[in-house]
Amino acid sequence: MNAGPARGSVAAVLQRPHRTLVQVFVDWIRTRRPANSWPALLGLVAFAAMLGVQQLIEPGTQRLLSAVFMFVALAQAWNLIGGYTGYASFGQVAFFGLGAYTVAVLMNNYHVSFWLAMPVAILAGVLFAVLIGVPLLRLRGHYFAIATLGAAEGLREVVNNLTPITGGGLGITIPTFGDQAPTPYFGKPGFYLAFLVLAAVSVAVCALLSRSRFGYAMVAVNEDQEAAGAVGINTTLVKVVAFAVSAAIVACAGAFYAFQQIEFYPTDVFDASFTVLMVIMVMIGGSGTVAGPLAGAVGLELLSQFLRVNLGAYNQLIFGAIIVVVVVFFPQGVVNYFRDAVRTRQFSIFDNVRRYRL
Amino acid sequence: MIAPEAAPATAILEVRNLSKRFGGLWALRDVSFSVAEGQILGVIGPNGAGKSTLVNLITGLLRPTSGQVLIDGEDVTGSRPWVIAHDRVARTFQIVKPFRGLTVRENVAIGAMHGNERDLTVRDSLATADELLELVGIAKHANDAPGQLSVADARRLELAKALATRPRLLLIDEVMAGLRYAEIEAAVQLIHRVRDSGITIVAIEHVMKAIVSVSDHILVLHHGSIIASGEPRDVLSDERVIEAYLGHRYVKRRST
Repeated sequence: MNAGPARGSVAAVLQRPHRTLVQVFVDWIRTRRPANSWPALLGLVAFAAMLGVQQLIEPGTQRLLSAVFMFVALAQAWNLIGGYTGYASFGQVAFFGLGAYTVAVLMNNYHVSFWLAMPVAILAGVLFAVLIGVPLLRLRGHYFAIATLGAAEGLREVVNNLTPITGGGLGITIPTFGDQAPTPYFGKPGFYLAFLVLAAVSVAVCALLSRSRFGYAMVAVNEDQEAAGAVGINTTLVKVVAFAVSAAIVACAGAFYAFQQIEFYPTDVFDASFTVLMVIMVMIGGSGTVAGPLAGAVGLELLSQFLRVNLGAYNQLIFGAIIVVVVVFFPQGVVNYFRDAVRTRQFSIFDNVRRYRL
Repeated sequence: MIAPEAAPATAILEVRNLSKRFGGLWALRDVSFSVAEGQILGVIGPNGAGKSTLVNLITGLLRPTSGQVLIDGEDVTGSRPWVIAHDRVARTFQIVKPFRGLTVRENVAIGAMHGNERDLTVRDSLATADELLELVGIAKHANDAPGQLSVADARRLELAKALATRPRLLLIDEVMAGLRYAEIEAAVQLIHRVRDSGITIVAIEHVMKAIVSVSDHILVLHHGSIIASGEPRDVLSDERVIEAYLGHRYVKRRST
């Protein structure tokens, strides 16, 4: 070879003994440095900072920020299947509504504690994801998007018509006062904390997954399924697991949202605009990264709340216009733009637009 | 006394009456052969002979219309690609299929993460990848995007990715097509080095000269059927093979 004689033989490389699990752990501890732990440290600092912020702000603002935290979790969840794995689901709200209704039905009809109902909601989300994921994840591109959209619409209609259990179109109410309440209402500070923890767990799960062997498998499936299968990746399993983990996070968010709302209708928790927001937050922030959905969710939700308060009737119009402008100038997402710009030292936004135009 | 015939060692790969039909076209028809451990089998044939179809059938990318594929005597016909990969069979693709969003090093590491006797952590897989990149001679491109590689280097990446899964049998699909003379020399040496490590090789090739020099045994496919099989020298002088490659007029002219 033109690189000169190789040091080892093929056999020497392929038959080299593996490290044991204990060695892996010991080496990991020994090699911890601020330089390679900064994402985890940054996360902890941000979490502590948000706990501190809570002491300084009014309950109304806490409510606003808890919505931001919820969208951080939802965007991270969508990014697993839509970003890393490359299956753009337009039906993730199905798991949100499923989680919400599971909690509401269990608490209202069966007087079950929220802390028991929430895990059941997550389980329901996972089971439904596996149920529809196995057939639908065979579809690609637009077909998968349409099929998942249909699944979500279908589930809403089922909930709408199961009046004896779900209350149907009249909505459902979670008892929150007096002896009737299976779990005391959290109040605004309680939900701030709940959604903060949910967001933190979602970010941590996605960060760990993306750096793991499973994370590389998701990317490989996204890039080329034939090549992924050829190196031993069970592509069906990877897709279904990514879809199910995403569904678990979304269903959990739906569970907390239901309890926070107390009273809601099928059209509230099966609202397709939740899905659209997840997609937009991930795409604008930068799909296939952990920082992207985080930045997208925080940025867009804060912007949306700001516009709603300050612009009145025109807030949606301006919000939409801003999204269009950002998508035009950062087609690959803001985080991916800055990462590439720092690496290649090319900061021209117009070059960026040119590079990614169709 | 006549010495008893040596008992044939179990073939690492055996193909029995394998056929594949696409609509009205038989891409492969009634193909049978076997590969002994440690051998290099060359499969040659003109364009459209069914060479890539054969690899796709063995590795589970296509299901055969009829026939069987056996690995170590075990029927694996119609298994999914990752099952075949975990039976320690690796392959390269004729049209290279790198994971474009990842670096060259990460591309190879994925094979070490998800293949056989996998590395426990991503870090170990990356270390394995670095050593393999060194072996195939593209270590200096470890952090590049695969799209930046030359044709020859992209083929080496395919080979490194396949080796990272720790195979016992490696199917190489036209790794030399489109390479320059010096690059073919290097590829031939590399194939020998892979075989020396104990890996059995089935090399699909259009470039006849290159494959003849590395193979222990040659199989010639034409219109989906085996038209010749044997030692490289014998196969090359076979009339039918010359006709398939060079046309019947050439054969006639030579015989007169």
